[in-house]
Parts: sequence; C-alpha cells; structure tokens
Amino acid sequence: MKLSFSPKLSTFLKPSSVTNLHRSFCSSSISSPPPTSLKPQTPLFLKPPIHSAASSDLQKWHDWAKSLASSVGSTFVDLDNGPDSTLLCREIKWLMEDAIEEESEGMENNQRSIRLRVALEELYMLWKQRVEERRPFQYVVGCEHWRDLVLCVQEGVLIPRPETELIVDLVGDVVLGNEGLREGLWADLGTGSGAIAIGIGRILGTGGRVIATDLSPAAFEVAGFNVQRYGLQDVVELRQGSWLEPLKDMEGKLAGLVSNPPYIPSDDISGLQAEVGRHEPKVALDGGINGMDDLLHICKGAASMLKPGGFFAFETNGEKQCKHLVEYMENDAGGSFCNLKIVPDFAGINRFVTGFHK
Amino acid sequence: MALAQSGWKLSYSNSWVRVVGVSRRSSGAAAKPAIFQASCPPPSPAIAVKIRRKCLSNWRWTQQPPQLLEDKKSDASFFIRCSKYGSSIGAASNTNSGKGYLASTDQELMSQCQMDTFKASGPGGQHRNKRESAVRLKHLPTGLAAQAVEDRSQHMNRASALARLRALIALKVRNTVDLDAYSPPQELLQILPQKSTIRGSDCGPQIGPNNPKFILGMQALLDLIFAVEGSVSEAAKFLGLSTGALSRLILSNDSLRLAVNELRFSKGMKPLK
Repeated sequence: MKLSFSPKLSTFLKPSSVTNLHRSFCSSSISSPPPTSLKPQTPLFLKPPIHSAASSDLQKWHDWAKSLASSVGSTFVDLDNGPDSTLLCREIKWLMEDAIEEESEGMENNQRSIRLRVALEELYMLWKQRVEERRPFQYVVGCEHWRDLVLCVQEGVLIPRPETELIVDLVGDVVLGNEGLREGLWADLGTGSGAIAIGIGRILGTGGRVIATDLSPAAFEVAGFNVQRYGLQDVVELRQGSWLEPLKDMEGKLAGLVSNPPYIPSDDISGLQAEVGRHEPKVALDGGINGMDDLLHICKGAASMLKPGGFFAFETNGEKQCKHLVEYMENDAGGSFCNLKIVPDFAGINRFVTGFHK
Repeated sequence: MALAQSGWKLSYSNSWVRVVGVSRRSSGAAAKPAIFQASCPPPSPAIAVKIRRKCLSNWRWTQQPPQLLEDKKSDASFFIRCSKYGSSIGAASNTNSGKGYLASTDQELMSQCQMDTFKASGPGGQHRNKRESAVRLKHLPTGLAAQAVEDRSQHMNRASALARLRALIALKVRNTVDLDAYSPPQELLQILPQKSTIRGSDCGPQIGPNNPKFILGMQALLDLIFAVEGSVSEAAKFLGLSTGALSRLILSNDSLRLAVNELRFSKGMKPLK
C-alpha cells in the first residue's frame, strides 16, 4: 500500500506537522502494526505524479468517462434519488483536477504528455467503479471538500455532509463573545473523518482544545491523519471509544459538546441511495428503530459532562427528531438545560438542536 | 437570447457560470450571464422602483430554484441609483448607500441576502450523497444576484458568490456625484497609477484589479464616469491622469471595461479597446 512516507507527500504537509506525522505513524506501526486496511490511504490529490499519459489518450479516457456518465441519464435519480448525468460530469472534472498535476504538460516522443497521480488504466477502473458500482465519488478520490478544508476519507469512514458544516458556524457564533467557551475544552463525539473537531479546532482561541472520540478504528486512523495534515495535533486529541466513554475524566469540565451521531431509522437503511447504503459504514448511519438511540444516549450524558454555561449542538434526522430531543431535554433531563433551539439546515429542514447547560 | 431560455438549470452545468458578473472574458451578448441581460437601455429611476418592488415580493423563494420569469423581471432593475446619503429607491436601503454595501463585512452583507441552495428532495443529511453545493445569493436591497457552483464545498461556493456579489454591487449600484465639488475618495485614489497628479504619497502602492479592495475604488470610478456621461477624457481631468492612462486602468479589468463600454454605447460613443 502507498502510505504517507513518500517524500512527495511531505511537501504537501505543513512543515510543523511533517515530523510529527512521520513519528506517530512510524512508532505506531512499529509497536503494534495494525491491519493494513486501517492505515489511512493516501488520497489521489496527495499521490506523487509519477505516471504520465499522452494527452490524446487522456482525451480518449475523458470521452469514454463522459459517455458512461451520459448513459446514466436519470436512471439513478429514479431508482434511489442518486446522481444524474450532469452531476456525474461535474465529478469527472473534479476527478481530473485531483488526478492531473497542474501545469505538467511535457513532450514525449513528439506528443504532448500529461503527468498523472494515477496510471491511466486505474483512472478507467476508478470511473467504472463510480458509475457501475455506485462507489461514492469521495471514496474514489479519497477526499471530501468540506467548508474550507479538504478531508481525507476512505471506506469505513462516513463522508462528512454539507449540512454538517453548519455545526462549526453555530459553534463560531457562541464562542465569538464568550471567552470561557472560546478557550474551553470541547468534545466531538463520533468524529468520523474528524471534520467537526478540525473545524472547531481552527476557530477556538489559543487555549481551546477539542477531544474527538470514535469507536471505529478506521475513523480513528483517518481522523488522526486529517488532524496532522492541518497541524492541529496540539489542539485536537483523539480518543478511541464509544461516545462519552473515553471522556470519563472530563465530567463537568466540557465547555462544549457536539455530535453528528447515526440518526437514520433502521427501517430506512435498505432504501438509501446506493452510494450511501452500499458503501458507507452502517454503524455511522443506523440510529436504531426510531433513529434516536445514539442521540438520546448522548443527551443523557450531556448534563453530567458539560460545565455550567456549556454549549451543545447535535445534528438530527429532521423536524421529528428535533422536537423529540427538545421535549426530552425540557422534561426528562431534569431542567438542566436552557435556551433550547431548533436550527434549520441550508435547505430549510430542521436539522440541529442546540442549547446550554444551566 | 438563447441563454435566457436555457436559464438556471442549464447554466448550472456550464463552465461559463464561473464568470457570472465578475470577469466575463469575451464580449458580446452571448457571453452575458443569464441573470443580467443588461443590454436594454436603463429604465428611468421611477420605473426601476416599481419593478424592483415587484421583484422583492416575488423573490421570497428560498427552497425552489428561481423561475426564469422572475429573473427577467429582476433584469429590469439593472441600474440602481443611490445618493450619497441613501438609496433613492426602496425603503430597505434607506440607511445604506451603495458604498455602504461594499463597506459592510461579509456577515453584514450576508444578512441582507437571501441564500438559495439547490434543495435536495428528501430528508438530506446522512441519507444523501450528492455533491450539489451550488449557492445563489440574492441581495434584497438591490435585487442583485450572484451564484457559484464550481467549488466542491458549500462553504467555498458561498464565499465565491459573496465575492461576486460585491463586484456586482460595485458595477451596478451608482452613487450620485457632485462634479462641482468633486474630490476623489481615498479608495479611488488607491487604484490610480502613481503618476496621477492628485494622488498623494499617503495612498500607498497602487491597488491592482486582483486585490479585493479594487472593487471599492472601481465603484467610485464608475460613479465618476457615469457623472461625466461616459467621457473618459473628462473623468481623467478629475483624476489628474491623461486620457490614455485612465483608459489603460479601465481596460485592466474586464468587468470594468464592459460596464464603461455599455454606458458609452448607450450614449452613442465608441467603445474603449
């Protein structure tokens, strides 16, 4: 497997993080080598451009990829609300952005050649996987653009959703005029790729810290890779374990608690868009019979974890879960929360519940 | 115009959407973005008021992709005239002149906008994996709209759309200029070449068209050029520049050039080349 030690990769990393990254991955692989599938894979855009192709051959690939995308038409939309040809064509553009080294044109045997980060044959295979197996585009290229971040993702790790970007804005709003929160200790439960934790880690004050937990070994590794890539290893601490379990020493100390736990009702899993249902980790999607198993579990623990005045924000499946959660926090949580709010996402769906510990 | 018929849906898939309102690379009608078919003569201010009000009430969509019909109506409010002390149109902008919009922070400007995204059908969130992160911003006080689809995240598209909106405000929102007592504002002096005779040494180095601050100066320059009805030589006198030097400044930015030439065309003058 191509791992992160190639000298090329280090040029993409911030200088400060390079040595640390090298050390931490090296030492972990020496002491107890994890199964290879758990190691973070290098995303396409970080691979060294050691391949090349004649521009005419690349053009042929492009034509082929487009015709494959066009053949889809609205089939996937009708089937499971999947992507249509237009979207797939835009993905081809992004795939090329990631695969081609910019300004890399050269001449070889009197033909224009282009430097690639992946062999042309593999590019054929990747696009075939995308269309025929409905493999999510983000797994194909190994990254997702989220807020102003580019986060590495791979099979076994939930692809961060655009809706979730708003959680970072919500936190940004509350820390703006509140030093206690800005310089405090935060927790992101079920961090996955580390998206929320990294987003928050970048807006907290110099004293602010984030602890990110995840049960999944794959997520733990990938989140670690992303944290290192953004040079946040002193700000974001990863702990492996289920929800609040790794935070037992933090009771009553948290300034903030955020989470995007699995919230899809079990019965809905089988009907999901193929990219999601067939390829993304079920453990990050399935929230039990009414989808609220994990949300309620986290809420139950929130009161004991947050310090007075602490803030929380949770993502939900929509209006119904939001209402249910607010009701629970008002009635069953013994009046320990205040300023409870339901916040809609960019599409107008009531998506988040926020509030403060009294 | 063909683009008008194809509208929003089609433009969504075309790469030229990238240039909406900012740097239209080619000239001529075909290159104009669908949302600003501005080649029609500017309506009189009175008409603009009327149409704009109609637009505002019609623009209360948030979830639906905008209808082309509404786009067409909003085109008519192409010229928006403001005084230094507030817009002469609409109650919403009483406290905010055209210059004020550009001086606002991103957050303030955003609060004056209605954001339209391509709403997913269905429950969204974890259910969904579609990279439709297009953002369209409608600036309610002026009726101007900008969009971005080419970035790979919602966040970046919003930032791009906002930057485009700023450029559009600079291009389309006019402040009245009192020529008898004219002295160029600081932001205009900063975009002038060093050889301008009225440019003090305190202006610092010339701000070029790629600097985000260029937009503020561009708005003030257009205010002046509109006040002298498109005459570059007249405007140059006010700025302590030769006609040639001001022409070069105008030609350094595609959207500025197009805006000036559109005005000159409407006055029967030859375009700058």
